Amino acid sequence: MIELIRVSKRFGAETAVDDISLRVEKGELCVLVGTSGCGKSTTLRMINRLIEHSDGEIHLDGQPVRTFREETLRRRIGYAIQSTGLFPHWTVARNIGLVPRLLEWPVTRIQARVEELMNLLGLPQEEFADKYPSQLSGGQAQRVGVARALAADPEILLMDEPFGALDPITRETLQEELRALQARLHKTIVFVTHDMDEALRLADRLVVMHQGRIVQQGRPIDLLRAPADAFVESLLGGEDRGLKEAALLPVSERMRPLRASQGHAQERIAQHASLREALSVMLWRHAERLIVIDEDDRPVGELSLRRLVRARDDE
Amino acid sequence: MARVTGRPNIVLLSLMLAALLAWWGLPSVSVAPNRIVSGSAYLAPEVAGVGLAALACLPMVAVMGLAWRPSRTRLAMALALVVLMLTALPLWLSLAALRLIDPTSPGARMGIGPGPWVLLFVLLLALIELRTRLGLSRRLGWGLLAVPLGSLGVCLMRWLSPLALWQEYQGRREAFESALGEHLLLVGVAVGVSLVIGVLVALAMRRWPAAQRAGFGVLNFLQTIPSIALFGLLLAPLAWLSSEVAWLAALGVSGIGWAPALLALVGYSLLPMVRNTYVALEGVDPTVIDAARGMGMSHGQVFRQVRLPLALPVILEGIRITTVQAIGLTAVAALIGAGGLGTFIFQGLGQAAMDLVLLGALPILFMALGVDAVLGALGERLRPGGTP
Repeated sequence: MIELIRVSKRFGAETAVDDISLRVEKGELCVLVGTSGCGKSTTLRMINRLIEHSDGEIHLDGQPVRTFREETLRRRIGYAIQSTGLFPHWTVARNIGLVPRLLEWPVTRIQARVEELMNLLGLPQEEFADKYPSQLSGGQAQRVGVARALAADPEILLMDEPFGALDPITRETLQEELRALQARLHKTIVFVTHDMDEALRLADRLVVMHQGRIVQQGRPIDLLRAPADAFVESLLGGEDRGLKEAALLPVSERMRPLRASQGHAQERIAQHASLREALSVMLWRHAERLIVIDEDDRPVGELSLRRLVRARDDE
Repeated sequence: MARVTGRPNIVLLSLMLAALLAWWGLPSVSVAPNRIVSGSAYLAPEVAGVGLAALACLPMVAVMGLAWRPSRTRLAMALALVVLMLTALPLWLSLAALRLIDPTSPGARMGIGPGPWVLLFVLLLALIELRTRLGLSRRLGWGLLAVPLGSLGVCLMRWLSPLALWQEYQGRREAFESALGEHLLLVGVAVGVSLVIGVLVALAMRRWPAAQRAGFGVLNFLQTIPSIALFGLLLAPLAWLSSEVAWLAALGVSGIGWAPALLALVGYSLLPMVRNTYVALEGVDPTVIDAARGMGMSHGQVFRQVRLPLALPVILEGIRITTVQAIGLTAVAALIGAGGLGTFIFQGLGQAAMDLVLLGALPILFMALGVDAVLGALGERLRPGGTP
């Protein structure tokens, strides 16, 4: 659990972070989003004390971060950044084993852990262990960066635009992987990005920052439905919000039981797909009705265009 | 893979044309009855007759033919011919020595004319061109040179005793060896001392950025003083010091000799050393440093395990530049009695004995080339991430 209580950061006369309070629960993925210079990275870096806060208190599981020795604190917190920050003179395996080595784990335990992580992130040991970062693609390098952050099995993970430098397809793949990873590992994650789509896709809790302050925070769907002001609304994409919301809702939420009588709708959609995907299929196939299927391809319901676009109030 | 076949290789064609012109147009050797009088020059046909001289042209013409429509095999054949010609060069000089030097006059000596020097230069260029065209490793390139060097060694032992350069060496064997030792020692100590000081200064500049501009100002200023002037400037203060401080005098410090030479060499070496070390340490990717600190490395660990290893190739580059520069500068130090190979150069200039100048200059040249190659290769090896 991470708690920021009325935290400010001033650089000289400039206030980068202005009196913010934030609570990230254990196992929660909290995304800080905002335009560049809004103080989101500064906020992140104050948590592991790469930047010292000027006012207020930052607690880790109820303990002020200032009571830890800097190095001890950071070794307890995973850290992944944009452009990976991998050490170019070390092999992949050595990069991943960095924090365990700093913590003076026995060699065999480090080796086992590195192997485990490489498997977890889809980097076959034989192929990648002895490669150098310059020999990796952007996506592979970022996987190594995440593996390195996870190496000592930290409770908390800080990620500063980790996928910012990747092409859209690789970025989406890694976002999916991070979600899958989080579903298994339940880390407490603070994730910084300026990409609202990424934020909506990943966040359990979305925190919008502007000019050093938190403008709004909450579940992504709540922010979409009730943006606090014009700034949040524009950040969320204005007229595009309908699609963004649809992307967050699963088909199962709007479907209704299958009625055998109208059996001739042939287009199918998986029940865990998003309403946005369902809409896309309808547009593409010129279909007003879709059969919803489960993991075993069995029909479990149907979704009509009318139900899809129906206002939330009718639910 | 470099494209091998196709259009005529202009480089090889022009090099071989230059070789032909040098062979026919420039004196091959000069012969003098003794050390004092200047010798008379001989062209290649005058050394061994037109027939043999024309025969020697065959490989050059052959290389031109091979270069006209190059293929991999043809270039390999050309490479063999170039190595053959390099190997034959000392034999040619031996032949000239046997023909032109009267064995009954012990003072007679033979100088190498401009022809063979130009030929050597041109053939080495051709060797490099062929090595890169064929994609051979640098090491193999050096290996190929072993054959001509072996031939030179054998010829020096057996037939080339009248060679003026060789005679100068024979006459000064001990002086040469001690001069070589002095030269290496001066360069080694100067580079070592400036490395230690240079790293400390660079670290201080990183610590106190205010010192950086002043520091580079002083070093830049030092670099602009002409070397002879710097030696002269050091003369008075050092002479005074050695007369005032007994233990310094006992160490051998005086206004002339090794002390001012070493001081000046260190002074000149500091700028490249400090600049490269500073730039190397500052130039490390900041995101790597950020990650290192964020992972929980202490300042010492970041420096030793990340910053220094990543900066090392550039620091080594500084050592390379400094060493090559110091090898050359040490020659000038002979002027103030510091010894070294420069002694022969200045003696030779004084006596108008060009071969004596060469005896000093050639080893300096080879030393600089050797250091350059070895440290350059080492730097390549230390590049982060090994060889991709």
